[in-house]
Amino acid sequence: MISLRNVGKAFPNGVVALRDVDLEISKGEFAFLVGPSGAGKSTLLRLLFREDVPTTGVVSVNGHDVGRMRRRQIPFLRRQIGVVFQDFRLLPQRTVTENIAFALRVVEVHPKEIKRRVAQVLDLVGLPDRAGALPGQLSGGEQQRVALARAMVGRPLVLLADEPTGNLDPVNAAEMMKTLLEINRLGTTVVMATHAAHLVDRARQRVVAMVDGQIRRDELAASYSEGVVE
Amino acid sequence: MRLRTWSFCLSEANQNLLRNPVLAIASITTTAVSLLVLGMFLLLTANVNQITSNIENQVAVRAFFKQSTKTAQEQSALAEVRKWPKVRSAKIITRQEALRQLKSEFGDQASVLNSLGTANPLEDSLSVTAKSPADVAPLAKSLGNLTGVVKVSYQSQVVTRLFSLINAIRIVGLGIGILLLLGALLVINNAIRLGIVSRRREIAIMRLVGATESLVHWPFILEGLILGLIGSVLAAVIAWWGYAALYTGAAHSLPFVPLVTPIPTARDVAVLIVVLGVLLGAVGFRLSVRRLARV
Repeated sequence: MISLRNVGKAFPNGVVALRDVDLEISKGEFAFLVGPSGAGKSTLLRLLFREDVPTTGVVSVNGHDVGRMRRRQIPFLRRQIGVVFQDFRLLPQRTVTENIAFALRVVEVHPKEIKRRVAQVLDLVGLPDRAGALPGQLSGGEQQRVALARAMVGRPLVLLADEPTGNLDPVNAAEMMKTLLEINRLGTTVVMATHAAHLVDRARQRVVAMVDGQIRRDELAASYSEGVVE
Repeated sequence: MRLRTWSFCLSEANQNLLRNPVLAIASITTTAVSLLVLGMFLLLTANVNQITSNIENQVAVRAFFKQSTKTAQEQSALAEVRKWPKVRSAKIITRQEALRQLKSEFGDQASVLNSLGTANPLEDSLSVTAKSPADVAPLAKSLGNLTGVVKVSYQSQVVTRLFSLINAIRIVGLGIGILLLLGALLVINNAIRLGIVSRRREIAIMRLVGATESLVHWPFILEGLILGLIGSVLAAVIAWWGYAALYTGAAHSLPFVPLVTPIPTARDVAVLIVVLGVLLGAVGFRLSVRRLARV
C-alpha cells in the first residue's frame, strides 16, 4: 500500500529532513511512527499525501508514484487518503455535520449519499448527538473526533494521523487511540506519528522509530522504546 | 462540474462578498464610477465626432476677386482650382448671389441694405472647401497667389483651436478612463485577495480532501465576475438612461445641435461597459492566482 525507496528530503534552507529512507507498509497494516521532534515523522507523512515532494527516491501509495505525479492527479490521490492533524483544522463557522459533509461536497458526492455517510461516520467516531454543534462548543477530544470523521467520510484506503492525541488529555487520547485501532480493524491502513509512549506500548502494533531523518528500528508488535519487554 | 457544485461555488463566492461588505461595495463603486467616466467620454467623443464632421464640411475658404476681374478670368481660375488635389469642391459666388445671401442673413433687418439702392459694394468670390481641415491653411495661401484675387478669408484660428481642443479632450478622457479602470482593477483584485486570505482554512481543507484546483478557483472567479458585473451594470444603466434623458432634453432646448441618437450609440456604449466590467472581474481574479497557489 505504501512504499518508500531511498527517499531523501532536503529543504531549500539546507535542513535535511529525511535520509535514505526505505519503508514498506502493507494494506490493512497499522504502523506507529515514533521518534523525537525533528526526526522527520511529519515530513514522511507529508510526502505520502503529496504536500511535499521527495528530493531523491520514490514514494508510492496504492501503486501511484506520488512524487512524480502530475498536479492535476493530486486531488484523486488525496481522495484515497484521510489525514488528521494535532490541531484538528475544523471550520469554526460550520457545524459538525457541515464540516464533515464539506469533504464530500467538494468531491461532488450526491447530497443523499452525503447525508447517509455523515450519519455513519458520526456513529463510527461516537458523536451522533453532536451533529448540530459548532466546533467552538466541543471539547478538544470531540473536535478531534470530528476531524477524524471528516478524514474517514471519503472512505480512504489510508489514514494518516500526525500526532492526533497531541492536544488531548489522557482519557480522550485513549479513546482516540481505540477509535483509530477500530478503523484499522475495519480495513483501513493507518500510519500514526506520535510521542505518546503509553499508547504505543499498550497497542502492541508495528513501530517505526526515526532519528535524524533515518529509520533506526522497525519492529512488529513493539513498544515505544527499544528493548522494553513486558 | 455538476449544477449543485456550481451552486456550492456561488454560495462560497457570496460568503466572501458578505464577509467583507465594505470592500465589496468599494469594488462595485470604483468599477461603476470608472466605467461610467469611460462611457461618458465615449459618448462625448461620438458627439464631438459628429459635430466636427459637420464643421469640417462647412469650413470654406473664400477668395475675393478684384471688381474689375472678367468672368472668363474667374472661370479659368475655377477650372484650375478644381484640379488641385487638396480641393473637395469649388464654386463661384457672384456679387449678386453674395448680396442675396447677405440680405437673407439679415432677415427682418434686410431693409438696412435698401440704403444701398442699386449699388452693390460686394465682389465676386471663389468658395473652396478642403478635403481635410489640415489642408485649409495651405489652400488659402495658394488661392491668394491666383491672379485677380485680392483677399482670402477663412475661419482659420477658430477651426484649428477647435480641433486641438477636441483632440485634447479625447486624449485626456481616455487617459482618465484608463487610470480609473486600473484603480477599479486594483480594488477588485484586493477584494479577491482578502477573500483568499480569510478563506485560507477552507482552501487548505478543500485541497486536503481532494478538491480539484478548478473547484478551489471558481468561488473566486465568480466573486470577481459578480463584482465586475454589478458595478458595470450600474454604470451601463446610468450611462444609457442619463444619455437618453440628455438627448430628449437637448432636442427641446438646443434643436440646432444634432446629438448622436441614444440607439445605437448609447446602447452600444452600455454593452461595452458591461463587457469591460466582466473582463475587469476576470483579470482581477487572474492577478490573484499566484496568491491562491501559495495558500
